[in-house]
Amino acid sequence: MQPFTVLTAVAAPLEIAKIDTGMILPGRYMRRHRRPGHDYGEAFLYDLRFDDKGQPRADFPTNQPAYRDAKILVSDQDFGCGSSREGAAFAVMDFGLQALVGVSFGEIFQGNCIQNGIVAVTLPEAAIHDLWRQLREKPGAEITIDLPNQTVTAPDGNLHGFDISPLRKDRLVRGIDDIDVTLEYRDAIEAFETRRRAAVPWLPTAQRD
Amino acid sequence: MSPRTLFEKIWSDHVIVVSPQGEALLYVDFNLINEGQSFLAFDQLRMEGRTARRPQQHLAVTDHYLPTINRDRGPAGMPNPEIRRVVEMMDENAKEFGLPHVGWFHRDQGIAHVISPELGISQPGMLITCNDSHTATNGACGALAVPIGGGNQLRHVVATQTVWLKKPATMRISIDGTLPDAVTAKDVILAIIQTIGVGGATGYAVEYAGSAIRAMSMEGRLTICNMSIEAGARIGMIAPDDTTYEFLDGRPHAPQGADWDKALAYWATLPTDAGAQFDRELSFDAAQLAPMVSWGTSPEDCAPVNGVVPDPAGIDDSDRRRHVERALDYMKLKPATPLQDIAIDRVFIGSCTNSRIEDLRAAANVLRGRRVSVPGMVSPGSHGVKRQAEAEGLHEIFVAAGLEWRDPGCSMCNGSNGELIAPGERCASTTNRNFEGRQGRGALTHIMSPAMVAAAAVFGRLADVRRMTR
Repeated sequence: MQPFTVLTAVAAPLEIAKIDTGMILPGRYMRRHRRPGHDYGEAFLYDLRFDDKGQPRADFPTNQPAYRDAKILVSDQDFGCGSSREGAAFAVMDFGLQALVGVSFGEIFQGNCIQNGIVAVTLPEAAIHDLWRQLREKPGAEITIDLPNQTVTAPDGNLHGFDISPLRKDRLVRGIDDIDVTLEYRDAIEAFETRRRAAVPWLPTAQRD
Repeated sequence: MSPRTLFEKIWSDHVIVVSPQGEALLYVDFNLINEGQSFLAFDQLRMEGRTARRPQQHLAVTDHYLPTINRDRGPAGMPNPEIRRVVEMMDENAKEFGLPHVGWFHRDQGIAHVISPELGISQPGMLITCNDSHTATNGACGALAVPIGGGNQLRHVVATQTVWLKKPATMRISIDGTLPDAVTAKDVILAIIQTIGVGGATGYAVEYAGSAIRAMSMEGRLTICNMSIEAGARIGMIAPDDTTYEFLDGRPHAPQGADWDKALAYWATLPTDAGAQFDRELSFDAAQLAPMVSWGTSPEDCAPVNGVVPDPAGIDDSDRRRHVERALDYMKLKPATPLQDIAIDRVFIGSCTNSRIEDLRAAANVLRGRRVSVPGMVSPGSHGVKRQAEAEGLHEIFVAAGLEWRDPGCSMCNGSNGELIAPGERCASTTNRNFEGRQGRGALTHIMSPAMVAAAAVFGRLADVRRMTR
């Protein structure tokens, strides 16, 4: 996982509330085998990005050239609410986004994003509305997310502070996920395993046949 | 040491470390994997270049997406390409990660929570995980069995053989006394859920205890623990006793010889000590229980079969009233209708809740020499159960009565294999969830015991099996 410290990148405004995980990753993509070159990037917000005929909707921000390189999405209330599908965070990641700044997020979705190295932080509604205004007025403008200092810098230079739990911040800054955290206890796990095998030698094991 | 509960003993036996945030890193003795969403975990592991740390402590089981018919036709028996793809992905992932796999054509194939006890994998004192919300089923064997998510959590268990969990509070539900005739484990757990609600045990590890549990078979105990999640509890368990030991003795993965004696000595230390404190205690009088049926769209929406559909107008709690109004609208039911006047369109006997040999015997006992009035199918929980049922001639009773005798799998419980109930159809079902759309869009589900489903099949409406008991 990539460490996340400071990101300065094009931000796209997404002024739609309550985009649920079913919109982020439509159900019909949930049986898709995810592999390099065939990931969930296409699926991300598919029904918002494309019309019934599969043509890109010109009015959708990320379809506009100015936002083509966006790595940050500035979202509205309850982005990622609804179903707990973990593929929604993969869709965000596979689309090429590295950070979400929004009014609020679905709790499980937000946890899944951070697990996968995507910063998802909230700012007060007024600050988000101000970001949208600036991004609309100057399409392709960049914003900066400084995770160590917990600030978002708007295109006009205004600084907004955000909260994040120390545990989540530590994981993102170090670029470690929960497996990496666990593997820091590798010695303890191996010692436990040895003790347990000695104490309960009959524990079942299975074989491939 | 101060007196401890069954849960606390097994929990503390598996704690490797506790994080500064208070979450425990626990060792996973055995992990079961089904094909639903688990491909997300394997896709991510593959992209990260990670491998399975202890492949032999896993068993992949194909149960959710496998149709229960046409298996002899191979892949052509799965006409839906998406369903076929999920089944194939489990084959590929198990092979690539070196995981033992009870797949498509395996002689032991069945529902994970049926075959794990059946093969003797689920043993007292173990910590077992599975990417399925009904994992607590295995707690009936005296194990600490915990559901995990099919993506990140499963990925973590495969890569590290450990799981991070927040320690739950403890609850003991005691059921004492003798169950009346025709009142089964399913009726007991439905009565518990009706009483405490679908959130009643959220955040708790539940231990079921009392003389009615002690007198219950392993099949019954598995049914009770299975529906812990319908009361909100991720963990449900029952202390091991002679019934547990007799059930396990001689099963393929159970300890043998000198290990068996050592295991027995260890298992005997596990039951809750006298005087151990639970965070919450509830008790039920077995003698007061009756056969139950659900009328609404939540497992707590159930009542004794001699009851009536509730009237929302008589409910004071406004949230509950709105729920009941919506439930009756979805279920197309009128307040005060006697439950036994509700006509059904089909029946389903199966699922991890009620597909074991005792369940099939109970249903067959009602159907012997009778004909059903509505179509339906019986899906045994495993090929082991299927072989046993066929040895006892139960399949002939079902077929003679007019039901289909199918292959094992999760099937119509949630329909992920494509076996669905048509919109507006009403089904009497031995399954665990009666949520809106659970068995198909617009499907109307009534959950109850296998004998009660058999009685409903005969009459073509919900019926009191006690009027038919031979």
